[in-house]
This record gives sequence, C-alpha cells and structure tokens, in this order.
Amino acid sequence: MNDDIILKTDHLSKSFFKYQVLTDVNYQLKRGEIAAIIGPNGAGKSTFFNLVTGYHTVSGGHVFFRGQEITNWARHKIARIGLTRAFQVSNIYPKLTTYENVRQSILAQLKKTLNFFTPASKFARNETLELLKITGISGFRNTEAGILSQGDKKKLELALALASKPDLLLLDEPTAGMSSEETHETMQLVKQLNKDIGLTILFTEHDISVIFGYAQKLSVLHQGVLVAEGTPEEVRQNKEAQACYLGEEI
Amino acid sequence: MDKKNSFLKRFWLPALLFFIALILPLVVAEFWVHVFNEILILGLFAAAFNLIFGYMGQLSFGQAAYYGIGAYTTGLLMVKLQWPLFACLPVSMITAGIGALILGYFCVKLRGIYFAILTMAFGQLVFFILFQWYSFTGGDNGLQGINPPVWLFKANAYYYFSLAVVTIGMIALYFITESPFGYTLRAIRDNTERTEFIGINVQRYMLINFVISGMFCGLAGALWGPFNRSVAPDLSSWQNSGHPVFMAVMGGPHHFLGPMIGSVIFTFLNAFVTGFTEYWPLVSGVVMIIVVLLMPGGLFGIIKSKGYFSSRDVGDVKNE
Amino acid sequence: MEFTFLFSQFMSGLTYGLMLFLVASGLSLIFGVMNILNFAHATFWLIGAYICFTFWSLMEAHQFALWVSIPLAALATAAFGWFCEIVLIKRIYKRELHEQLLITYAMALILGDLIKIIWGPTDRLIVRPSIIQKPLFLFGAPIDSYFIFVILMGFAVALGLWWFLKYTKYGHIVKAAVFSREMVGALGIPIPKIYTWVFTLGIFIAGLAGGVQSAIGSVTLGMDTNIIIQAFCVVVIGGFGSLMGTLVGSLIVGEVFSFAILFWPDGAMVLIFVITAAILIIKPWGLFGTPLRA
Repeated sequence: MNDDIILKTDHLSKSFFKYQVLTDVNYQLKRGEIAAIIGPNGAGKSTFFNLVTGYHTVSGGHVFFRGQEITNWARHKIARIGLTRAFQVSNIYPKLTTYENVRQSILAQLKKTLNFFTPASKFARNETLELLKITGISGFRNTEAGILSQGDKKKLELALALASKPDLLLLDEPTAGMSSEETHETMQLVKQLNKDIGLTILFTEHDISVIFGYAQKLSVLHQGVLVAEGTPEEVRQNKEAQACYLGEEI
Repeated sequence: MDKKNSFLKRFWLPALLFFIALILPLVVAEFWVHVFNEILILGLFAAAFNLIFGYMGQLSFGQAAYYGIGAYTTGLLMVKLQWPLFACLPVSMITAGIGALILGYFCVKLRGIYFAILTMAFGQLVFFILFQWYSFTGGDNGLQGINPPVWLFKANAYYYFSLAVVTIGMIALYFITESPFGYTLRAIRDNTERTEFIGINVQRYMLINFVISGMFCGLAGALWGPFNRSVAPDLSSWQNSGHPVFMAVMGGPHHFLGPMIGSVIFTFLNAFVTGFTEYWPLVSGVVMIIVVLLMPGGLFGIIKSKGYFSSRDVGDVKNE
Repeated sequence: MEFTFLFSQFMSGLTYGLMLFLVASGLSLIFGVMNILNFAHATFWLIGAYICFTFWSLMEAHQFALWVSIPLAALATAAFGWFCEIVLIKRIYKRELHEQLLITYAMALILGDLIKIIWGPTDRLIVRPSIIQKPLFLFGAPIDSYFIFVILMGFAVALGLWWFLKYTKYGHIVKAAVFSREMVGALGIPIPKIYTWVFTLGIFIAGLAGGVQSAIGSVTLGMDTNIIIQAFCVVVIGGFGSLMGTLVGSLIVGEVFSFAILFWPDGAMVLIFVITAAILIIKPWGLFGTPLRA
C-alpha cells in the first residue's frame, strides 16, 4: 500500500433498511492534504464520515487508514490510532467546564484515564491551557460548556478532536454558526496545523469561500455517489457537479 | 499555613461531619449510637451506588446483590471458619467484586431502563440463591451469631470501628471520583458517544466502575453482619436495592457527600418513625414522593441553588 | 412420570402462567404506551383481591357471591387506579427514569400499608361456591375446578384485549401510541386523556386478576412484592408493549416454574431469573417486542 495514501475507501456502501445512502464510493486521500467533500443536503457526507469513524457499520466495501483495514472497527479503536472527528452538531460535555472538556480528551490521549488515585487537576495543565489558547476559548475555561455560544461550542469541538493528536482530522461543517471573523480564525488555525505538523484534513462545508479558500482537493457527492473530483477549479468546470447544484452557484 | 487554610476551605463540610461523628457517642444514648452506626454503613453503600448513578449516569437497581454477597462472606467466614473480622473485610470486597465482575459483564452491554431491569433481575437472582441454598447460607433463616471480637462488642466500640472503616472507604471513593478515571465516568455520563470518539472503550470503563462500586457495596455489607449479629437474604432484596437509590436522590447524586447525607436523613427518619408507628412504608413512600417531585437534585441541589456553596461540588477541585 | 401427573403439572403451570398474564398484561400495556414501569401494579392487584373479599363477605350467604364480587372488585380497583393516575402518575410522564421508578415504588409502599390499615394483617379466606369445590377430572388427572375458571378468564382477557387493539377505534389509538406518541399527539388526539384511560384499563385488568386470585388461596399481605418481580420477568421475556409477548412470556414462566419444581425445587425461581437475564442480554426488547422503542 502506498504510504502516501492516508485514507482509502473501496466500494463503500451503506443502506438503512431499504434506503440506499451511499453507493460504491471509491475515495483516496493523500497524507498532508486539505480536502473537502461537498454535496447537497442528504448527499451522504455525514454518512461517509460515520462509516469511516466506526459510527455505523458498513453495508459493503472497505475502509483503509494508513494502509490498514479498519472497516467496522470499534469507534474508540479508530480514535486511538489517529483518526478523529469533530461533529456537525456540537458533541461536547455540557456539564463539565470547557477546561475539563479539553482535559478529558487529552487524558484519554495520554492513556491516563485508568489512574484512580491522583487528583485529575494535577494532570495535563499545560497541554490543556495550550490547546484552549490555540482554539481561542481560553476565556471560557471555567464556564460550563453547555452554555457556550454556538461558535464557541464549535471551537471546543475542534479542541476535543485535536486533543487526540490525530493524523487525519475529519471536520463536519466546522464553521457552521460562526461569524466571518471566527470562520477565518478557525480555518487559519486548521491551515497552520496542516503546515506545522502535517495534519491531514478532510472537511465538509456549505460555505463556498471556505471551500475555495482552503481546500486543495474537492470531491462532490450526490445521492450517495461520487460524481466529481479534482482541484476546486476543476470541479467548478465539471458539468455533473454543476448539475447536482442546480440553481446554486459554485 | 496557606495549604492548611485552603484544605479547610474546600473540605470544611466533611471535616465538620467527621468531628460531629467523633463526639456523637459521648452525648447521645446507646440507641442513637446504633442508629448512627447504621447511617454510616448505609451511607457507604449509597456512596458506592452513586459511583454508577451520579457519576456515570446509569441506574442500577440491584446493588444490594453485592451488599449481600459482602455481608454473607463475612458472616460465613466468621461463623463457620472463625476468621477474625479484620481479615473478612478485604475478602468480602473481593467476593463482592467478583460477583460484580461476572454479573456486570452482562449488565454493561445495556443502557437506560434495560440496564436497570437487568441489574434488578440479577439482584433477585442473588436474593433467591441466598434464600434457597439452605445448606450453605441458612436459607430464609439467615446466619445467626455473627459476633464481633470482644473488644468491639459494645455499641460505642463497634461504632468507632465502623466510622474508621467507612471514613477510609469514603476517602478512597473520593480519590477515585476526583481522579482521571472519575472524570472519565462523568464524561461517559454526559456524552457516552463523544467519549468513545476520544478513544475510550466505554463498556470496559463501565465494567471497571461496576466492579469498584460492587466492592465498596460489599465492604458496607461486611460491616453490617457483625453490627446486626446476623445476616438474612433480604439484604439482597430489590427493596434493599431501592434504599441507596433513594438516599442518593434525597441527598443529591451530583455531590460526593449527597448519598451520605441522604443516609442520615433516611435512616434517622426510619429510627424516629418506627418508634411510634408500624406504618414506616407509608411514611417513607410519602417522603419519597415529596422529595422526588419537589426537590430536584436532592438536598444539595436545593442548597446549591440558594448559593450557599460557590463551587459545583462539595470539596470540588477548582481548575485554576 | 406418568401422564396424569405431568398433565396436572401442566395445568398448574397454565393456571399460574395465566394469572401472571392477567397481572402482567396491564403492566406491559402501561409501559408500552407511557414508558412507565409501574412498581405498584401488583399492589393494585392485591387491592383487587382484598376488595373482592370484602364484597364477597357482604354476600357470602349466596352462591353467586364470588362471581359478582370479581367484576365489582375490578371496577372499584379501576376507579381507584384512575384516581391515582390523576393525582400522581400524571406528574411523572416527563420525568427521568429514576424518578419514575422511585415514585411508583413509593406508591407501592403507600398502597401496601393502606391495605394493612384497612384490612389488617390477618389472612382473608373466601369460601368457594359449591360448584367449584370438587376437582374436575381431565384425562384421569384431578384438576382444581377453579383453575379452569382462571384459565378461561385468562384467555378471555387475552382475546378481549386483542379484539380491542385490533378492531376498535380506541384500540387503534393505543396501538399507535405504543409505536409513536408524538404522531398520535400531532393528530390532535389528547395524549393526557389517553394515558389516563390506558392506566385505568391496566389497573382494571389488575383488579380483575386480583379478584380471580382471591379464591385461589388465602389473601395475605406481601403477596404483591413477590409477584411484581415475576410480572417484570414476564414482560421482559415477552417484550414490552406486546400482547402476544406478554401471553407467551407468562406461559413460559408458568410452565418452566411448574416443571422446574419437580427437578430442582430450590432452583425454580433462580431459573426464571436466569432466563430473564438471558433474554435481556440477547434480545433486550424481548421475544415479541419492537427494537424501535427503547
């Protein structure tokens, strides 16, 4: 297996009861790329993420991460080997403080969670504060995460995913609900991480400026099928891609 | 000097309670020493239960199974093999822990109401084993003659012994709840899904927690045998499984001392009411309804909302 | 083991199973529609038994006393159940699981003591009418003739419920509510009213079951705490909210218990719990339940 390919899916399919959501998706992602998957609502983008991260079992096909087959692996196992995800709808710990949220993810990554007798407050202080600073939510560290604004919750969401020190980070609409300034901050951060530590990014988005501003590779999903792939410019010219976005500008 | 100040600031309530518990036998009649001894034992039972409920967010309606296993382990070792009490306590924790490991392995595959019902069914299983296995456990007669060593025979002596064991147990539980493991439990409670995605094998952690809880329930049960001088199968009945639930809810399941405070109120009320009426179930039922309908979050929940405590948990660790 | 002996064991098991069905069907219905696990269900059953005794004792000179008392007891218990729903149960539908369990458990405690206060601790015994005093001989085995009545009553209730759910308008509403509360509410049918009537119906059956039970043995305090857990097992094995499941579950429990007693008297109850646990582990929603409803 080519060491360059960090994520690969082979004839990936998923159906719920009789409803076919993904059909025969063959996808490849190179290490170090920033890529995006786009498509109209209901195209299957989230399902694709769900299958890759073990949230759902596949109906057919295979998933490979860094050359290793991870099809239908348990979710925590996939997260452990460096494939993490930030959710579309913020999936944080509402009753814990922002600080505790991030610390929890770091503790899991450091494999310190089976420690029974040392107070948690003694662990990972620097790492947690650092990550809070990077994602721009230091000011809220003692607030219960449940009452943060949508945009801040998204930043926390990103922090939780980053804490797992992933090789590949899946972002499900990372800038939804954010102001243009926050959007810019977040995506700059993502770009910086990609440059500094070679973090491979795959995201889904509806915001055109984000897609064209940051994605190096674009894949278009329509009704569960990959219809176009290439650089953003190439995809823009593609007739099929245009067709599925009927009425919407690309 | 500074360290001592901040220690008292965070732990003034448990320190106060401990102090009160220390001087109690000196100021009240023997009957009440018995009552407070019972409060301590049941409080430990309820606190162990709360590891699963308040900290991990699942309702176990069968913890009395491990309480009973612990009680019978100590009872059998003392009566049939004349083991000293001190040796029986850790062994009871081990047997209760093994019970929790075997039964818990299945329970943690379920969540919500199915988890609750399975724990209840397993609780009844243990109850009926204790009830029917006449040759080994004495059946519905139970085991009599579980006598503590001579120097612990008097009420005050056994009270202080219980206080020592329960205090150590509670401190151990507190460390566990404030450890990374404890916070992982809270994470599982608040968002099980998310916790899997940060790389935690949730089922495994639930089982580990289930075993820890079972061990401390067993410890409480082990204290009960010599206290009561006998053990009976109804220690594992579903009604007895309901008591720690009620105590935790009454005191406040989201605070470490909640279950203990719940035990104080419930046991005290029990001793008081049974003094002048046989209709304790009626009274306890009414109290239960009032508490559940009108006191969300239990006693600590009400106090917290009135702003008496600034931190989120009594004795909670502040981040900065 | 000769056939007549086995047959009488089978009939015992059938009777016991159908009595469990009578207790559990209301429980299953209430859980299926409102998601409430009613710890007090067996206590209502016991209240039905005691009320039946009281009615009977008022008419005991007459041969028809028992047959009249049973339906009267069912109605009286149902009325009381309706009252309990209005006053208490109504407040817990939106509450969390542990709150619901504690409240129904509290209700069981209160009602249990109410029985003690009203009827006292002594056992109550109904003298059977002469028509059922002698055993009936079926296939050479002596069968308690009252058992025949219990069996017939059990199947009658099962049939009645089935017909109600399948062919009446209200039955359809109830069936739909088991499937999706929200949809039924969205269709403009008042959910609170449905809940009240479903609860009352469930308690009616429990009261009826209690009335039937009252002539089997004596009526004593504490019978409810024994049977409630068995009723839970039945509903777990059969599947919450499923009528067929409750029937099958109760027959399984009844017969397993009846025959297990022959080989392993001490372990019969234990076996029931092992089966219950096994079902929960392999198929949590029971043999006939639907996985859609958690």
